Amino acid sequence: MKRNFLEKDFISGFMWLVLGIGLCIGSIELNLGGLRHPGPGLLPFLSGAVLVLLGLVLMFSSISKGTEEEEVKVDEISLKGSWKKIFFTILALLGYIVLFEYLGFFFTTFFFLFFLFKFTESKKWLMPLVLSLFTVILSYLIFSVWLRCQFPRGIFNFF
Amino acid sequence: MNITGFFENLLLGYQVAFTAANLLYCFVGVLVGTLIGVLPGIGPAGAISLLLPVTYGIKPVSAIIMLAGIYYGTQYGGSTTSILVNIPGEAASVVTCIDGYQMARQGRAGPALGIAAFGSFIAGTVGIITLMFLAEPLSNVALSFGPPEFFSLMILALTISTYLAHGSMIKALIMVALGIGLSQVGTDIISGRMRFTFGIIELQDGIGLVPLVMGLFGISEVLISLEESGEVTILKEKIKGLLPNLKDWMDSIRAIIRGTFLGFFLGILPGGGAVVASFVSYAVEKRFSKHPEKFGTGAIEGVAGPESANNSATSGAFIPLFVLGIPSNAVMALLLGALMIHGLQPGPLLIKENPEVFWGTVMSMYIGNVMLLILNLPLIGLWVRVLKVPYRILFPLILFFCVIGCYSLYTRAFDVFMMLIFGIIGYIFRKVKYEPAPLVLAFILGSLMENALGQSLLMFGGDLSLFITRPISASCLIVALMLLLGSIFSRKGRGVLAKIS
Repeated sequence: MKRNFLEKDFISGFMWLVLGIGLCIGSIELNLGGLRHPGPGLLPFLSGAVLVLLGLVLMFSSISKGTEEEEVKVDEISLKGSWKKIFFTILALLGYIVLFEYLGFFFTTFFFLFFLFKFTESKKWLMPLVLSLFTVILSYLIFSVWLRCQFPRGIFNFF
Repeated sequence: MNITGFFENLLLGYQVAFTAANLLYCFVGVLVGTLIGVLPGIGPAGAISLLLPVTYGIKPVSAIIMLAGIYYGTQYGGSTTSILVNIPGEAASVVTCIDGYQMARQGRAGPALGIAAFGSFIAGTVGIITLMFLAEPLSNVALSFGPPEFFSLMILALTISTYLAHGSMIKALIMVALGIGLSQVGTDIISGRMRFTFGIIELQDGIGLVPLVMGLFGISEVLISLEESGEVTILKEKIKGLLPNLKDWMDSIRAIIRGTFLGFFLGILPGGGAVVASFVSYAVEKRFSKHPEKFGTGAIEGVAGPESANNSATSGAFIPLFVLGIPSNAVMALLLGALMIHGLQPGPLLIKENPEVFWGTVMSMYIGNVMLLILNLPLIGLWVRVLKVPYRILFPLILFFCVIGCYSLYTRAFDVFMMLIFGIIGYIFRKVKYEPAPLVLAFILGSLMENALGQSLLMFGGDLSLFITRPISASCLIVALMLLLGSIFSRKGRGVLAKIS
């Protein structure tokens, strides 16, 4: 059994403790009200208090008896070199969201898909290009023309 | 029960379900459901949130018919991937991998797929019939519930969901507390005060259910799958003999029957649903079997039981939704959202006031099950071809659909941003073994609970003891307390799930 203060469960327990305290303070500011007339802060306060309690339990149990029966091992956490993929996927999504309303549905979707297709199949150019163009046009027809969803046209005022 | 009334209702449901439009919506639902089921990395919750905006323009009953079709359709599709690729197409098909894939390796993919589909069909049909007979009498009982009963019932529901969670119960309870906390963000209806919006205008209406669900289930699943970069390898052999032989039937019929009833019951329980049903069914079959050593080496019961259980669980899950207006899992929460978007008031009066919605949906589920049997047996080759699409092509498309679905709900980029945040949070949660399901359930029940608590306290004039003097409320709270204490004092109590997972 590990008795490590840097145990994942210890850290997450501490985080819940802090979050719970924050929730409780925020709730008190909102006014808890009384049992007769519950205020807007009552339920958030209760959930915050439960978080504080459980956070402490989690921290305590991770020190006292290693961790729970289901210990999170450090090597399970390691990303085996795939962190790049995940990082760039999140980045692509973020870029997609930021540019979506500015550049419009057509261009951002095309760039987003092309980036991810190209990124994962890095040698070829034609396949990702065709695939993303095909998807954009097809989805435009389905969502915008058939289902009448409203999508931003962007600065190019296109599609 | 009034017999003539019952047949009148059946006829009503028949008339609703058999219109050309509703048949089409049912077909689209089960088709999308099978597709989602076959594809790993996107589940029914994600798919339903995607199609939710699409249903705005159509009649409420058609919307529910289609969305329900997706839900039970995924349970059929999920087994295909489990059996042929050894990757669960759906969380509820995880255990099907164990014996299903072994059967496929021994050249018995056909009977495995066959028994999965037939088992699903039998369980689905029995489940629907049970739902039909139980829902109305139960809703009459539920009519006598007041706010205190609802509040205690929701406490019990959340406790059960943590009890059924796979990992540590403390972590599941933390997820519940967090879910309730998140549900409080936004404008307080009674006082009109902003809660935890941090001055962000978009948060005044609260955190959206769709961004939350799609982030925690859709985006985070994609991120997790990206880690396993290994390409899918499908068995190359031709699938032959989809019809199980007499021995197969003899071996699996008991498993199917047990799975059906077990699944239905577990489906009713909050947080249970199809996933838990399939796990428990597998454990039960192994326990009851005369030759448990065969499990894991291609025992057909190990496919038949769980696949039946996960299907009847989907029927069972409709009970709390239609009877109480309380969703028992994320998918049901989205259906509840759909009902409300279409101006229907979920609760004990729903079946009485909108009989066409309940009976039409139930009838369509019969039809849907027949459609699914056809889609999944004679047309199995089609789904095998879908499986051959590599994940590197698939995942950008899944992400794209998530973004589009989330954006088109309120046409604002903020929701998509929230989805991304919850996607990253969900990814981290999965890494450190926190299950998102109890969080989502608590998030949905949070505002319902606050109303019920507020009304109860007003009713009682602040006297909390009335929660334990009213019999129904008291029994719910006692059971919840027993579950909590039971899990503290004996960790082995929750062993059924821990052993096999």
